Amino acid sequence: MEENRTALDGVQYIVVKIGSEQYGIDIQFVDNIVRMQPITRVPKIQPYFKGVINLRGEIVPVMSLRLKMNQAPDEFNNATRIIILKLEPQAAIGIIVDEVKEVVTLEEQEIEKVHYDAKDENPGFIHGIGKHEGELISLLDLHVVIGDKENA
Amino acid sequence: MDTSQYLEIFIDETKEHLQSLNEQLLILEKEPDNADTINEIFRAAHSLKGMAGTMGYKRMQRLTHDTENVFSEIRNGKMRVSANLIDTLFQSLDALEEYLENIQQTADEGTDDHEPIIKQLNDILASGTGEAPKAEPASKEEKKEAKAAESGGDGALASKFKNIKLQEYEINAMQEAEKKNMGVYGVTVYVQESCILKAARAFLVFKALEEIGEIIVSDPTVQDIEDEKFELDFSLYLISQEDADKVKTVVKDVSEIEDAVVEKIESFGSQKAESEEKEEKPEEKEEKPKTAAPSAPAPAAAQAVPAKQPTPAKQTAKPVVNRTVRVDLEKLDALMNQVSELIIAKNGLVSISSNESSDVSVQGLHDQIEYLERITTNLHESVMKVRMVPIESVVSRFPRMIRDLSKKLDKKMELYMTGEDTELDRTVVDEIGDPLMHLLRNSADHGLESNEVRRQRGKEAVGTIFLNAYQEGNNVVIEVGDDGNGIDVESVKAKGIERGIITQEQAETISDKDAVGLLFMPSFSMAKKISDISGRGVGLDVVKSKIEALGGDVEVKTKLGEGTTFIVRLPLTLAIIQALMVELGGEKYAISLGSIQTIEDISVADIKYVQAKEVIHIRGTVIPIIRLDKILDIEPREKQSDNLTVVIVKKGDQLAGLVVDNLIGQQEIVIKSLGKYIDNSKIISGATILGDGEVALILDANVLF
Repeated sequence: MEENRTALDGVQYIVVKIGSEQYGIDIQFVDNIVRMQPITRVPKIQPYFKGVINLRGEIVPVMSLRLKMNQAPDEFNNATRIIILKLEPQAAIGIIVDEVKEVVTLEEQEIEKVHYDAKDENPGFIHGIGKHEGELISLLDLHVVIGDKENA
Repeated sequence: MDTSQYLEIFIDETKEHLQSLNEQLLILEKEPDNADTINEIFRAAHSLKGMAGTMGYKRMQRLTHDTENVFSEIRNGKMRVSANLIDTLFQSLDALEEYLENIQQTADEGTDDHEPIIKQLNDILASGTGEAPKAEPASKEEKKEAKAAESGGDGALASKFKNIKLQEYEINAMQEAEKKNMGVYGVTVYVQESCILKAARAFLVFKALEEIGEIIVSDPTVQDIEDEKFELDFSLYLISQEDADKVKTVVKDVSEIEDAVVEKIESFGSQKAESEEKEEKPEEKEEKPKTAAPSAPAPAAAQAVPAKQPTPAKQTAKPVVNRTVRVDLEKLDALMNQVSELIIAKNGLVSISSNESSDVSVQGLHDQIEYLERITTNLHESVMKVRMVPIESVVSRFPRMIRDLSKKLDKKMELYMTGEDTELDRTVVDEIGDPLMHLLRNSADHGLESNEVRRQRGKEAVGTIFLNAYQEGNNVVIEVGDDGNGIDVESVKAKGIERGIITQEQAETISDKDAVGLLFMPSFSMAKKISDISGRGVGLDVVKSKIEALGGDVEVKTKLGEGTTFIVRLPLTLAIIQALMVELGGEKYAISLGSIQTIEDISVADIKYVQAKEVIHIRGTVIPIIRLDKILDIEPREKQSDNLTVVIVKKGDQLAGLVVDNLIGQQEIVIKSLGKYIDNSKIISGATILGDGEVALILDANVLF
């Protein structure tokens, strides 16, 4: 994973692909990116959790973003990655993405804040849209995506 | 003096002393004449005072001092133990605990003087001894005089012992002593000006004199002298069989004593006559006119001005003491030995790997690995043992609590405890106190009937509350219960409907067990009246969540009219367990060995049905069968075999048979949490990582019941 630390006034995002859409994940919450690996199913948990993996001796729950966002179930292939996020020091969580593309730096003016109305399908999962080299990147609000207690 | 390095020791020991005081007081309450107990209490109080003094906690010292005074009177048989007295003493213990709490948090004792308690203690001292039979007049005087001196004595110090205003009873005492052919002496002691520890010297003088006689009264008061609230002299009246010279020698034998005036007092016509009779060295008296309090040194000032306290200790916001475990040296030695063995084993492996010849090394490797396995198991055990502490440290405060509750609720009750030496992990022990306390309070408040009702029902007048702790497999079980009213299931249901927790229809069909379970729902309080003991609606649900947070569970057994028992089951260890690995549809699960009773191979034909549920009948016991694959949402196997492997697990006296595909074997596993994001129905208590890196889930058999 190459890092581009030159632009200090922008925020770095990891651009990932889920389905046909591009999503941006704030790099400061990313602990690690690992290849797809066997996931141990855990019975009786939230359906969008695929199970747990062993990440160097730690048990890390893995969530399917597709299921969480009511999209078609994941298809695992060579490009599939698990992005390990750490929103809090002692609580890692993995999210499955179809592909990791690149790291981009977005200046403030390149980000358009998103306002939701009641018709939105996945309210609150993204907090902005980034414009980068002619492409649009949906910026995930990770706290909403993961901390689902109130929103799911 | 920087005493911070002793703070931990101080806190530890103070806790111990307070605990022992609590225990002994309870004994004393039942056996007011138990001399051993009184002595024990006196010793503990005395050590407490000393320690508080050393650490510079003046308020604490003062309170212990007054407490000790009371005990001293009791010990000398001058005062009788009364209910009021015990209550006050308990209050002062509570106050001391408050100080300790403050110290633990901030290294400072706080600013509460607990004057009411001190006053109460002194009142008791005064009146208690006053009530005492005439045979002990001396103590009476001592105390009353002390009070008199406190109020009026300050300015009069210059005239030495003759200026002590003798009360009538003191004079009586002296006359009585005279009748018994004992001499009464007026003594004024002068301490050397260079003396640093005046209070200590004075104390030694008092002690020396008490060996040969009885001090009736002193000026300044004993309290003031101990606090160094005096200049260079103090006076007292002594009754002794020795003659004046002997008394003088005794006093002067104490080092740093400048001089002592001892005069035999012949008659006690009146106080005036007395002061005329005994003329003293007036010049010395003139030397040091004093006004006691203003000139008193720092410690006294601290007492005089409670609001502004000269705090020697640093002001820190966070608790100043680390959480510690006291470890038996033996356990540490065992640990050390095992670490040494571990190193040897490691060296063995190193030598094998450097050894080229392959044939020998495979055999050697196996040996070494086996050896290593044994050591790590032992090591684990030892480390766990180090973390284990008896629950005694938590439960020992309960008798006192029950006593207080008994008074408060006006119900007669007695707490019986067994298994206080049962050991649990330190973290569990720290947390279990409050839930247990809550259960006990519940028993006392809701469980036990009032005295009146008990009599009508023909039960023993004194209600029984019990706390039994014992180990069961990998669990520790703590039962808390009473022989009171039991839980009225119907009223629980009614309450549930009222609170909207269940509907009318549900109430009709719900089983008694489930109805009782409603008690653990949040905001479900059974108390008809809210009391400050329990019944604020934050009761049992908190108990339950707390215990579950510790990996345990709670169960209720109740019989209307006969009593209720809460059974708390807690895991013995938190991190590593012995587990049986089983296979289910290609997935691996671990079941704690502690909850496994037996493993049976049964034929499908042996499965019977009771109430449409599968059961098996083994050795006279009917055991329900749980199809794990269904519970765990595992794809059923294509072909059902004729034989089933059933793991029989137990929870308390209940059994259940878990059907599994295959047994893999026994293994020591490290428990890891699934993290906070995953929300499962508690069937899976955690996960572990197997030797090949695969993740296996840990089944909590207790939840399956």
